[in-house]
Amino acid sequence: MAGYRIMVIDDEKIVGDMAKMSLEQDGYEVETFLNAAPALERLREERFDIVVTDYKMKGIDGMEVLKTVKKLFPATKVIMITAFANLDAAIEALRGDVHDFFPKPVKIKELKASIQRALKRP
Amino acid sequence: MNNTFKLFEPFLSRVSRSFRLWKRSESPESFSVIFDRFREVLERNNRSLEIITDMGEKLGGDYLFDVMYIRKAYGELREEIRGSILNFDLLTRNRYPELHAAYERIDTLIRRMVDGIPSMAREMVISFDNIDWHKFREVGGKNAHLSEVKNRLKLNVPEAFVITTDAFDAFIDHNGLRERIAQRPDAMIDETAMKALQESILQGEIPAVIDIALRDALEKIREKSGDCFLAVRSSAEEEDGGFSFAGQFETILNVHLDDVAVKDAYKKVVASLYSSKAMAYQRQLGYEIGRMRMAVGCVVMVDAVSSGVMYSTGPGGNEGYLLINATWGLGGSLVEGKIDGDLYVVRKESEPEMVNAAYGKKGSMMISLKEGGTTEVRTPDDMEMKPCLTGEQIAELAREGMIIEKYFGNPCDIEWAIGKSGTISILQARPLMIQGEGERPAIVDEDWADSGYALLFRNRGTVVQKGAGSGKVFAVKHPDELNSFPKGAVLVARHDSSLFVQVMPIASAIITEIGTPMSHMATLCREMKVPTVVNVGDAVLTLKQGQEVTLYAGDENTVAVYEGVARHLLARGQADSVMMEDVYEFRKKRYIMRYITPLNLVDPLMNEFTPEGCKSMHDILRFMHEKAVAELVESARRESIRSRGHGNVMKLDISVPAGIIVMDIGGGLDVHSDDTKATLEQIRSVPLRAIIRGMVHPGLWQSEAISLKVNDFLSSMMRMPDIVSDSEHYAGYNIAVISKEYVNLSIRFGYHFTMLDCYCSDSARNNHIYFRFVGGATDIVKRSRRVELIAAILREYGFNITTKGDLIVARLANIGRDETEALLDKVGRLIAYTRQLDALLHDDSAVTQYTRDFLSGHYEH
Repeated sequence: MAGYRIMVIDDEKIVGDMAKMSLEQDGYEVETFLNAAPALERLREERFDIVVTDYKMKGIDGMEVLKTVKKLFPATKVIMITAFANLDAAIEALRGDVHDFFPKPVKIKELKASIQRALKRP
Repeated sequence: MNNTFKLFEPFLSRVSRSFRLWKRSESPESFSVIFDRFREVLERNNRSLEIITDMGEKLGGDYLFDVMYIRKAYGELREEIRGSILNFDLLTRNRYPELHAAYERIDTLIRRMVDGIPSMAREMVISFDNIDWHKFREVGGKNAHLSEVKNRLKLNVPEAFVITTDAFDAFIDHNGLRERIAQRPDAMIDETAMKALQESILQGEIPAVIDIALRDALEKIREKSGDCFLAVRSSAEEEDGGFSFAGQFETILNVHLDDVAVKDAYKKVVASLYSSKAMAYQRQLGYEIGRMRMAVGCVVMVDAVSSGVMYSTGPGGNEGYLLINATWGLGGSLVEGKIDGDLYVVRKESEPEMVNAAYGKKGSMMISLKEGGTTEVRTPDDMEMKPCLTGEQIAELAREGMIIEKYFGNPCDIEWAIGKSGTISILQARPLMIQGEGERPAIVDEDWADSGYALLFRNRGTVVQKGAGSGKVFAVKHPDELNSFPKGAVLVARHDSSLFVQVMPIASAIITEIGTPMSHMATLCREMKVPTVVNVGDAVLTLKQGQEVTLYAGDENTVAVYEGVARHLLARGQADSVMMEDVYEFRKKRYIMRYITPLNLVDPLMNEFTPEGCKSMHDILRFMHEKAVAELVESARRESIRSRGHGNVMKLDISVPAGIIVMDIGGGLDVHSDDTKATLEQIRSVPLRAIIRGMVHPGLWQSEAISLKVNDFLSSMMRMPDIVSDSEHYAGYNIAVISKEYVNLSIRFGYHFTMLDCYCSDSARNNHIYFRFVGGATDIVKRSRRVELIAAILREYGFNITTKGDLIVARLANIGRDETEALLDKVGRLIAYTRQLDALLHDDSAVTQYTRDFLSGHYEH
C-alpha cells in the first residue's frame, strides 16, 4: 500500500495515534490532526487518497469536512467514524457521498478493509 | 491436618452463622424472594462480566476507541455492579458491609484515571515490601516491575524503597519549577533553558515532607541491612507496559546510607529527566514533554563478585534461547559497553542448557569504594580469562530469567548480581523491545501442510488467548497435581479452573476439553498472556502425558496442535498484540483495565477471600458470586426444614423408594392442581431431573438387604445424635427445593446425609454444583474408607474436594449445562450407590475396587 496517503482527523489523540500506528504498518503514509481547520489547510497543500474523520468535533465537524473534501477534491474518499451511532447522522453522511460510516470503537481490520475497497474503486 | 481444618473453617463458620441467623429471625423471608435476589445478583454479575469482556476486547489493540467509549462502558459496568451489590446486601442481610468500601476504593481509582484526576494518597516514600497493586503509578515502571519480582515471584531482590512520583511533584512545586518544565508539544527543545532547569533542580531544596519520610526509610534500611550503600536509580512513571528508557536517565551507584548523600543523588537523577538526550527520546515516543513524572528507587548495593545483564530472549528474535552477559565486580562497565565480559547462550527448557559460551578478556572491573562511589581497577591476571559463572549459576540465572519473562509476558532485560555468598540478586527487570519481523500474515492452509510437523488436531475449540506455546503435555486431573507442574509444560485438563493461575507464570499453553472463553480462568489467561484454547472436546485424547507439542491459537478460532516444537509457529504466534504497545496514549488509556479485569480472589478458601482482598471489579463480582451461592444453599436448607408438612409440597413418584418431597418455587414441576404426586416426566427442573435419572439408573437398587454387623449397628446408634446438629429436622423426609434451573436436595438414606445444591442454566458462568455428604453407620475406619471412596469418585469427575472426618464438601462451578446435567446424573447414581456401601468396605483394597466398579458403570455390590 506504499504511496497512498491517509489523513486521520479526530479530537482525541488516541484515535489518531492508534490509526497511524496500524496503518503505517501496512505501508500507508499517515498524517493525523486533532481538529479540522489545520487538516483542511493541509489538504490544500497535499493530495490525500483517504480522509478518516470523526463525526462530532468542536469547531468544524465531520460533515463540514466531508462537504469541503467532496467539493475541492472529489477523488478523495472520506470515511466517517463517530461515537454516536445515530441513524440520522449516517443517512446525512451517506447523502454527502461518504465512502463508509463506522461507529466507534471501530475494528481496525474493518477500517483497513474499507480503505482497501475505497482505493480499488475509481 | 491443621491445613485441612483451615480449609474447612469458612464452611463451619458459615454453617454456625446461618444457624444463629435462622434462630434469631422470627419470620424469615420467603425463599422465593431470596431466590429472586440470588438470580438478580447472578444476572447482573453476568452482564458485568460481559461488559468487562467487551472492554477487554475493545481496549485490546484491535479497535480504535476513544475516552467516550470508556466512559460509557465503565458507566454501564458501574450500574450493573452497584445493582448487584444492592441485591447482594438484601440477600445476605448486609453481612458484608466492607464490600462497599472495597467497591468505592476501586471505583474511585478508575474514575480518577478516566477523568485524569491525580491521586490523593500522596505518599512520599514507599518501601518495596509495601508496593501494592494500586501504587504502581506512584513508584514508576522499573520499581513496579522489580517489586513484583520481589513480592510476587519471591526471587531475591535487595532491600529497597522508592521516592514516589508524588514526591517528584512536591519537589518541583516546592522549588517553583512547574512552569519551567512544561513544554509546548510542538516547540523546539531549548537547550540553554533545559541546562538552567537542570541546574535549578540540582540546587533545589528537598521539602520537609519528603525529608522526614526519607530519613525514616533510611533508618529502616539500616535496621535490616546494617551500614550499607545504595544504588539510586530512575523509574519513570508507569503507564502500562512501557519503554525501557535504557540509559536515558542517571543512575548513581554506591551512595552512602546518609540523607545528604541520598538527597544529592536524588536530585541528580531527577535532573537527568531534562537532559536534551532524554527529552528527544520522550518526544520520539509520543510523550508529552514536561508531563512525565519520575520516581526514584533506592536499592541496597550487592557487594558483587560477578554481575551482568540477561536478555530473557535473544534479540535475534530466537525465542528458544536467552543470553547472559557477565563480568567480575559491578556490572556498570558491561552496561556501558566498555568491556566484553562473558557471553553465555542458554537454551530455554525446563532444565536450561548452555549451548554456547564466549569468554571475554575482562581486563578491568568496577568495584565499590569504601568511602562511597565506584572505581575501575585492573582485574587480577588469573581472573581475566576465567569464566565468571559456574554451570549451576548459569542454569539458575536462566531459570529465574524464564520465570520473569513468563510473568511479565514479554522478553525482559534483567540486571543481576552474585554476592560473596553466591546468592543471585535481581536488580532490575524491564521490558526488552525486540523488533518484530514485519508483517505476519495469518496462517493459511499451506502452512499446515508445509510445517513438517505432525498435526495432532486443528480447528477444534475456542481461542481464549491468542499466541503459540510449546512444551511437554502435563495432564491435570486434580488441583493437587499442580504442585508438581513442570516449568514450561503445556497444561491439559478436562475443565477450566481458576486454580490454574498458580502455574500460569510457568505454563507454555493451556488446552482444556470443556470450558468457556468467559470463565475466570479465561480472564486470567488473557491477563497473563498464556496461549489458551478451551472446549476442544475429545481432541484432548490425542495428547499424551509427556509428549512434546506446540499449540498455535490465532484469529477467528484458528487452532492447531502439532507434535514437537514448531518454532516457526512460535515466532508467528507472538506477533499480534505487540504493535499497539508502542502507542503511549493507548497504554495510558488501557491502564484502567488493571483495576477491572484481573482476578485475585481465585480460591474461595484462601485467606484473602474477603471484601478487603478485592483489588479489581472482577474480584468484587467473584466474591459476591461465591457468597451468594453460600447464602442460597443455607436458605434452601432452612426452607426445606420449614416447609415440612406445609401445603405447597408434593411427593415425587418415582420407580425407587427414595421418598422425596418436592417444593416448587417456580417452573420446577408441570403438574395439575389436583395432582398429589409428581412423576419423573413431570419434573421440569433441569438439575433435579438429571439427579433423579441418575438415582433410578438400573442396577443401583436391587441389593437392598445388606446386613449390618452388630458392631456397625451399635456404632451408628451411638453416633446418631451428632451426625449433624439439626438431624432431627431431616428425619423421615427427603426434600428438594426446586425451580426450573435450581435444586437444593436434602436427602437421607439410612445414616447418610447428602445435600446437593445446584444451579443449572444455559450460562456456564452461573452454574454450580455444591455437594455435601456426612454421617453414617459403621465404625470410624469404614466411615473414612467411604469418604475416600466418594472423594476419589468425585475427584475423578473434576470436583474440588474438602474433607474433614466423615464429612465431604465437593464443589464445581462454571460448567456448561450439558456437562452439569451429565455430572448430576453421575452424582445421582453415587448417592444411590453409597446408600449402604460402607458396610461392605472391609479393607482398603475394597475402596479401590468399588471406585473402579462405579467409574466403569458396574453398580452391583
